[in-house]
Amino acid sequence: MTAFGALVSVTLRGLLGRRRIVLMVVLAGLPVLVGLLIRLGGGRSDAPEILDSLVIRTVLPLIALVIGTSTIGSEIEDGTAVFLLAKPIARWRVALAKLVVAAGLTAALTVPPILITGLLVGGFGGGSVATAFGFALAAMAGGTAYAVAFAALGAITTRALVVGLGYTLLWEGVLAGLLDGTRFLSIRQATLGTAAALTGEDVGVDVLEPVVAAAILVVVIVGGFLLTARALAGFQVRSAD
Amino acid sequence: MTDRTPVPVDPTQVTAAARPAPTPAPAIELEHVSRWYGNVVAVNDISFALGPGVTGLLGPNGAGKSTLLNLLAGLLAPSAGAARIDGRPAFGDPSVYRDVGLVPERESVPPYLTGHEFVRLNADLQGMPDAAAATDRAIATVDLAADAHRPLRTYSKGMRQRAKLAAALVHEPRILLLDEPFNGMDPRQRLHMIGLLREMAAAGRVILFSSHILEEVEQLADAVLVVYAGRLAASGDFRSIRRLMTDRPHRFTIRSSDDRALAAALLSEPAVFGAELVDGLLAVRTSDYLAFTRIVAPTARAAGIRLLEVRPTDDSLESVFAYLVRR
Repeated sequence: MTAFGALVSVTLRGLLGRRRIVLMVVLAGLPVLVGLLIRLGGGRSDAPEILDSLVIRTVLPLIALVIGTSTIGSEIEDGTAVFLLAKPIARWRVALAKLVVAAGLTAALTVPPILITGLLVGGFGGGSVATAFGFALAAMAGGTAYAVAFAALGAITTRALVVGLGYTLLWEGVLAGLLDGTRFLSIRQATLGTAAALTGEDVGVDVLEPVVAAAILVVVIVGGFLLTARALAGFQVRSAD
Repeated sequence: MTDRTPVPVDPTQVTAAARPAPTPAPAIELEHVSRWYGNVVAVNDISFALGPGVTGLLGPNGAGKSTLLNLLAGLLAPSAGAARIDGRPAFGDPSVYRDVGLVPERESVPPYLTGHEFVRLNADLQGMPDAAAATDRAIATVDLAADAHRPLRTYSKGMRQRAKLAAALVHEPRILLLDEPFNGMDPRQRLHMIGLLREMAAAGRVILFSSHILEEVEQLADAVLVVYAGRLAASGDFRSIRRLMTDRPHRFTIRSSDDRALAAALLSEPAVFGAELVDGLLAVRTSDYLAFTRIVAPTARAAGIRLLEVRPTDDSLESVFAYLVRR
């Protein structure tokens, strides 16, 4: 196996091998369950709002948070990162492999529930399918940004989970409702903007322009990668003596 | 505490075995390296250079051994000075790991991998062309083949240690940095590993291993670096270090059938320069550890006294190191 392949595979096994993956699957199953209940009640016409509040607002950032912070942070914490870093591999490659896995796993856990929930809520009409796929694509882009940002946090600080939770709950949750300007620093708003552009649906007030939304996601993903690569290049073990 | 000077003045003389030919740069080199964390100095102005052979890094827990090895392994940046591998800075250049095998002190290994997968991972990350064969070879070398397909989480401490060693050896590096490599191994495994490392040293490899156990260092190392409180307290071949450690005032406590008579008999021996009865025990001071251990039994026998117990009272490594640093 190539070194890059080995990095991807061991990172994936590390994430899937932890018990928290069960929690992730349960979390991803929640919107599907709600969608199922709505379907049993005859379906609804406001699928975009439901996908926004159920998935984009909650499940997506939470799954990305747990996966992102575990991708690098856990290995630094438990000391096994040394086995990956004390190797003749440029550290940016290590960073890239880790981020690809974090983003991929986040997508794998969030895209299917969005599709299923969207279809359950809105039915199988053409508009509903377009909405579900539009949201799924937007969640892939937004989930990648979240996962990369949280993985970078994990490479930089031991308190990544707390910082990430604070960002999602306080910044994106509470402050976004109070201060209009925060939407430019919000992955959620960028994801919603992307979803709005892809589906043509009205997903709320003050939606970001598609170009702005896309630019925010790109800046977060590229910036997160550079920060991760830099943190790994300067990696030092914590004091043992 | 300003008079702490390493024993041999020329640090380049610590070379474990005679180098075959003058090389442009030593395999391992520290030049006036210090490392501090905030106000705490973990390593204080240490210099040495090592070539092929086995060198033991000896010191009590917390002396700075792991910090030194991490500095050499490029896992810590020196606060001052330079740590080099083959003349290249150890920190910030992952290509040095082609030539370096590392057994870190921390026990943790990915618990979800089997021993085989773990060693294979290291072979793949080294970019080895025939990773499968290298993996099998390394596993056989550390005698782990029977358990190779069990997850690491089921391994004993000694087995994990061997798995780490196999992972460090898999790309057959020229330089091995081993932090307490024998931790948790049983005596048989320890002996096997010592034999293995000796062979590798004889084949020209550069091996630096840390230990807080004098006997391990004695059995394996050609050269010794003694570290205490972040300083290089002494360096040289094992025998000279041993002599430094034994040629110092020693204290023994003795219980015998007649302590008072034994005290008088021992005082007539030149190696003994003090004997007193304290709390019903005989405390003896000697200037020569080995000579004393040789004469104590015959002296007692000649005086018709039965020895019940002879115990060195300050032979903890801690006191030995403290003594070396004070010299």
